[in-house]
Amino acid sequence: MTGAAIKLGFPLLLLFGTYLIGSAVEKTHYREIRIREARSRRFPTVNFRTPPKSWNIVGAEMVAGNVVISIDYFKRFLAGLRMLFGGRVASYESLLDRARREAILRMKETAFERGYNAVINVRIETSRLASSNRKGEGTAGVEILAFGTAVKFAK
Amino acid sequence: MEYRPRTPREGVNVSAVHPLSELVTLVLGISLAVVVLVVAAFAVIEVVIRWVPPSFESRVFASLWSADLGSEPEDPRFDAAAALLGRLESHWEENPYELRLAIMEEESANAFAVPGGTIYLTRGLLDSVESENELAFVLGHELGHFRNRDHLRSLGRGLIVSLALSALVGGSAAESLPQVVTALTESGFAREQEEDADAFGISLVQAEYGHVAGADGFFKRLPDANADIADEFASYLATHPVSEARIENLWSLAAENRWPLTGELTPLPR
Repeated sequence: MTGAAIKLGFPLLLLFGTYLIGSAVEKTHYREIRIREARSRRFPTVNFRTPPKSWNIVGAEMVAGNVVISIDYFKRFLAGLRMLFGGRVASYESLLDRARREAILRMKETAFERGYNAVINVRIETSRLASSNRKGEGTAGVEILAFGTAVKFAK
Repeated sequence: MEYRPRTPREGVNVSAVHPLSELVTLVLGISLAVVVLVVAAFAVIEVVIRWVPPSFESRVFASLWSADLGSEPEDPRFDAAAALLGRLESHWEENPYELRLAIMEEESANAFAVPGGTIYLTRGLLDSVESENELAFVLGHELGHFRNRDHLRSLGRGLIVSLALSALVGGSAAESLPQVVTALTESGFAREQEEDADAFGISLVQAEYGHVAGADGFFKRLPDANADIADEFASYLATHPVSEARIENLWSLAAENRWPLTGELTPLPR
């Protein structure tokens, strides 16, 4: 009996533990994202292909922000259960949301550091970095790449 | 057009579902679905068992249970047991099986009925039985399993449960679940099955010897009879119900039918 209890208890403990840690990590990340978004809100990022006529552009460069985020054990478990019946995989939504916003922030911060005033033609790419298929042993995560053309205005 | 700075809005991209409430909903929903499916599958098994003729069963399983599991040794005790099986069989008139006896090289005393009509006795049982009457009850008990088609039922149920589990938990989280669940479900059903088989076994002992003395010797040699089973949970989990409860069942059955409890025991060859 003790053997079975340990065998059953360990995954449950892992599940609960990763839930606590995972949600704490996510909360911290969101807090950080919101602060940085507020800080960089005066920096225009748009997906126009061509800049507005009124912009007097003196320099341009491609900038990119890239992020890889892994799901935790709990989220994967939840998604695994969801897979049986289908429906919105809510546990992955926040993961993608965080990854996109983080990638855009990194792109904006890069452009800002290099002295640019805005980023135009912003595009976002998603790729699956690793699959979780190998009996759940692989690291499942997403890579989000945000890129665009940073432009400098004439003074 | 004017550029108006603002922070991105928290939009519709993240569902406002608490992960734990989603977990609870999913686990409950899936458990319910599994229970319904398994109960339905068990009902199907009951029907199938009724429709599978023993001859077909023997044909299918004859090749599966071959010499790998047990042998038919050159041993006077084995010969006596085989002859005894033949005599007991004659008391079961509608027996559709062609029965076979084999010895499994295993130290703990036990006996099994497997699909196809083979009864396995362990070497440990053969070494420890003290009278033919005792052995007759063991064989009668296993015949009872054949009569009730318990061996097919267990096989089917085991198959369904393990299939359901492997479909459910692809791996990782709960590889240990199958054993736990099988142990829990199987033991629950086994209780009833074992008691029915006991009743048939003792009726065969009575038919063969004219009394039921020595029938309870079987329980003293079951593995769980030696184990210290104190708490009720452990006894519930044991495949065979606690020996004492089964002995009581036997004696009350004998009393109901006015079967003599005492009589001369027939020895086995050494």
